Amino acid sequence: METENWINEILNSTNGMTHVAPSDELFSKIQQRIYLKKNTVSSKTVWLMAASIVVLITINIAAFRSSKTKNSDNSEATIAATLTKSNQLY
Amino acid sequence: MSKPPKMIQNQPHFEKLYQEYNLLVYNVALNYLQNVEDAEEITQDVFVQIHQSHHKFENKSVLKTWIYRIAINKSLDFIKMKNSKKRLFIFGKKSQNENEYLNSSNFEHPGILMENQENAKILFQTINTLTENQKTAFILSKVDGLSNPEIATIMEVSISSVESLIFRAKSTLKEKLAEKFKEYRKK
Repeated sequence: METENWINEILNSTNGMTHVAPSDELFSKIQQRIYLKKNTVSSKTVWLMAASIVVLITINIAAFRSSKTKNSDNSEATIAATLTKSNQLY
Repeated sequence: MSKPPKMIQNQPHFEKLYQEYNLLVYNVALNYLQNVEDAEEITQDVFVQIHQSHHKFENKSVLKTWIYRIAINKSLDFIKMKNSKKRLFIFGKKSQNENEYLNSSNFEHPGILMENQENAKILFQTINTLTENQKTAFILSKVDGLSNPEIATIMEVSISSVESLIFRAKSTLKEKLAEKFKEYRKK
């Protein structure tokens, strides 16, 4: 009986409980967070930008190298042609 | 604190929404987390999420249910996150009780009558040992005073399931409180 009374007292301890209000500054804190969220670039965008820059640099290096190889091939062909012409006997 | 930003869309509407639901969200979080700072953090999280998608909800009853769900889920996630951090700190030792974060607290609920504070402390400690569903059903019914159909809508279960959850929660609480009573008498 005593146990039951005590249990009921505990279970009924929330009777008459009132709602508690959060601090007054909470709304401005929420506004601040929403503002920051809107004005902050997401990490996904940052990584996407970084990857695009890396791809762009790689393409540029590859293009530069291939044009250099072509130029050296062309100059060798020009020298060979000149030599052939100057070696003519008549 | 810096000046509040002016760039928030639908500012008057959002402010009205905050005025209408801040007590609901804060008190749900407080009943789950039993910590004022953590409850404020969860309230912030909930309203940031509400701001992102509240325009989808025109029906007020659907909106209220949705807000309840966000508040409950965020509170439960927060408890899990705190427990996993604590577990990491003690070198990965897994606890059998998911609610150890809560059990370590000795919280005095500011909404409880002064003469009931000691009893309420014991009640909240015991509520924290219930399973997630039993705890949610019991808090919404006993502490928040919602009806069984309302709880069923929020928890997305049938009314009979809610009745069963509340019944089992009460039985478990009575068993555990009976054990506590033995310790209480020894003192």
